[in-house]
Amino acid sequence: MKALEVKGIVKQFPGVLANDNINLSINKGEIYAIVGENGAGKSTLMKIIYGLYTPTAGEIFVFDKKVDIKTPHDAIALKIGMVHQEFMLIPRFTVTENIVLGDEPSKGIVFDYKKALGQIKELSEKFGLSVDPAEKVANLPVGIQQRVEILKILRRGAEILIFDEPTAVLTPEETEDLFKTLMKLREDGKTIIFISHKLKEVMAIADRIAVLRRGKLQGIVERDKTSEVELARMVVGRDVVLKIPKAKAKVGETVVSVRDLTVKSKRGIIGLKDVSFDVHAGEIVGIAGVEGNGQAELVNTLIGFIRPVKGSIMFDGEELKLLTPFNIRKKGMAYIPKDRKARGLVLPFKSRENIIMGQHTLYPFSKNGVLNNIEIDKFATKKLQEFDIRPRDIYARVRNLSGGNQQKLILAKEMSMEHKFLLASQPTRGLDIGAMEFVYHKLIEEKESGVAILLISLELSEIMGLSDRILVLYNGEIVGETTPDKTTEEELGLMMLGLKRQEKVAQ
Amino acid sequence: MKDVLKRIVFGKKEKYWWMTAVVPLISILLSFIVGAIFIKITGRSPVLAYKLLFGASGLFPGPYWKSHFAEMLLSSSMYIATGLGFAIAAKGGLFNIGAEGHFIVGGIAAAYLGYAQPFAGLPKFIHLPLIFVGVILAGGIWGSIAGYLKAKRGIHEVITTIMLNWIALYLIEAWLVIGPMEAAVETGISGTPYISVSAKLPKIFAGTRLNISIIIILAVTFFIWFLFYKTTFGYEIRAMGHTLIFGMEAPKAGGINVERKTIQTMFIAGAVAALGGAFMVLGVLFQYPPIFEGGYGFDGIAVALIGQNEPLGVILAGILIGALRTGATTVQLAHIPKTFPSIIEGFTVGFIALQVLIRYWIMRLVEGRKKAIQVDMGGGAK
Repeated sequence: MKALEVKGIVKQFPGVLANDNINLSINKGEIYAIVGENGAGKSTLMKIIYGLYTPTAGEIFVFDKKVDIKTPHDAIALKIGMVHQEFMLIPRFTVTENIVLGDEPSKGIVFDYKKALGQIKELSEKFGLSVDPAEKVANLPVGIQQRVEILKILRRGAEILIFDEPTAVLTPEETEDLFKTLMKLREDGKTIIFISHKLKEVMAIADRIAVLRRGKLQGIVERDKTSEVELARMVVGRDVVLKIPKAKAKVGETVVSVRDLTVKSKRGIIGLKDVSFDVHAGEIVGIAGVEGNGQAELVNTLIGFIRPVKGSIMFDGEELKLLTPFNIRKKGMAYIPKDRKARGLVLPFKSRENIIMGQHTLYPFSKNGVLNNIEIDKFATKKLQEFDIRPRDIYARVRNLSGGNQQKLILAKEMSMEHKFLLASQPTRGLDIGAMEFVYHKLIEEKESGVAILLISLELSEIMGLSDRILVLYNGEIVGETTPDKTTEEELGLMMLGLKRQEKVAQ
Repeated sequence: MKDVLKRIVFGKKEKYWWMTAVVPLISILLSFIVGAIFIKITGRSPVLAYKLLFGASGLFPGPYWKSHFAEMLLSSSMYIATGLGFAIAAKGGLFNIGAEGHFIVGGIAAAYLGYAQPFAGLPKFIHLPLIFVGVILAGGIWGSIAGYLKAKRGIHEVITTIMLNWIALYLIEAWLVIGPMEAAVETGISGTPYISVSAKLPKIFAGTRLNISIIIILAVTFFIWFLFYKTTFGYEIRAMGHTLIFGMEAPKAGGINVERKTIQTMFIAGAVAALGGAFMVLGVLFQYPPIFEGGYGFDGIAVALIGQNEPLGVILAGILIGALRTGATTVQLAHIPKTFPSIIEGFTVGFIALQVLIRYWIMRLVEGRKKAIQVDMGGGAK
């Protein structure tokens, strides 16, 4: 039985053909993945199915019946549910309150919370999604919040569940849990549409995979009859070298030297314990680790957002003490943040305004505090060209750029600043393969020009491929130091999970 | 020419650049329609009321136009000052409710420097600038207290500015005006002594009360526009304004000293709002009376909202509110209370608060239904 069928879907946006004659047919009870780069048209297609957009042409069939989905209400009535990338939860409400919101059980006109609690408990047991129904959502980790979202749509009777890049916000363990949930849901006969650009995940979970590129359907393959390499070729439209071009490090003098750094985390507990390491000019030092093991504390201390409890950071032979981000940047530190929307860019600003952030007080962008718009425009035009940022419009609002282009803009901004040290915190987070490649090449270019790079990443392949030296961070401590040719991903994985540690970490 | 104007007022190549202007205009129009319905319901004539209101507002030529026009500009200059006080802080992401306090602090500073020796004997061209320097410092420091508490202690500016309003009020009216600054009993004056002739703002329109305050405030507005859009300072506070309330840290990570900018922004906001108080004392009252007829500070919030926190918008909104207030007394001839224009003002702010909806309506007219949703989702509210 077909759960969902789309025929000849076309979606025309001003200037962009987002979906070009897409035909898909999804069986009941399968996990169907849709992959493609950012901007390939995956989200547009899902928004059409969920009633957020109307297609320019084409037909949709749900359970073999032709339907006309105008709003999300129509979609929900047809038993289609969507788990959005950004959760639609109210942090101060409990799990139960969030799930029943909009359809509350009641006693007369009074909200029957007890009954709701019972219902949610029952629901979570039925689907094997364990949550504490009385806990406030604000206190839950992201993985559990996502579970609440799933329960919410299951309670509305969803048979077709759309997941829009569900793993983008999850840690590796949470991803594992999610996959178990998805398989359980498949056993229960639910149909799952899984949107992703992470090929590894798709290969691990999907039954069938549809590949979109630039709005066109490139092909539909069965998981068992394809490989990651073949998928990558379909996604990018050419052979991708997933292997990162290795450049030999010409190690120069020490640029950053961290000694016995101890930092308190936001919750007041020790987040980083006696961490010491050096980064030399012309090398990439990779920090491997599961998220939440001290990476955030390390980054925030290096850029001057928080002060360490003890320890020192030497930058270019000078100790950084009581410094603000402004001073640290002036000394020559570039920073690629992991959350580009919160820390990298001012979203309502135009490209030209964002690209000078941090250098706006310097000549030629301003003189005596007055901005020189002609120079800014010239610079922005040049950088948009150089980093291939689209749209090539310096007046485009950054909010409307795709993730890959936003990241390129950050690279353009940071790398045009005079710097000796580059702090790259998960620089490829949420990027598609094309943009990832671009970031890798830029990092290697930087390294070859003699910049000291500290790369923090959750992707082991990235750490292995790019780093000259690898440090493993676990529970706020450095539990191992190695080089890519002396270790394997498996060994790193064990160290990251705290199952193995080097007795003495060589400095 | 059209393009140059677009560039100056709205920034280049902005699609739907006219939206910023159309939304407030529609809000104003709607509030007048609602006002008319109110009048009709109570059995009076809306046509007569509006005829009287606008006839005496100074906006349109008519009987006694000269004096109405002068009165309108006189009060507009004060509304523009307090409106800018709110708009400057709002550009930096701060919700400044303190214009009322800044206004009276500016007023008392102007009064003191206006009558006190040895200033009172100085020639006008020295005395007046000196007073304004004092007013700017007083208002600015009063404003930066809230800025400091926000930046260094994380106390929300809404709380501190409201509290500082009361502190200012009681310091002035419960102590200074009836204590150290009270006029000598034998002069028979209540409140502070009158300011010296050299402290009075020169008149620019013979036979009326209109003085140079409107010219000063227009120059200040231009300066603020320049500050917002042409300087690194403005660039930084706009970056903060777009991110601060969402807890985003891009400006801080980019090396902007957010704490210092917060204090500086509040200094400027306080200083500009204080100018309004100085205009009142130096151009209208010539002393600080025992009880100050306030409200300019709070009306400034409305002015800034209607003006969309843009300098040019604040001028136009300030003139509108000034005109409504000038014409207010005459609506009594149509048996309508003179507070009626406040109702119009309130409705306008209410409709401005609905601007996302109004934007959507306009988009729907221009682009058709589905597209309007997308544009709105992509572009969002400003």
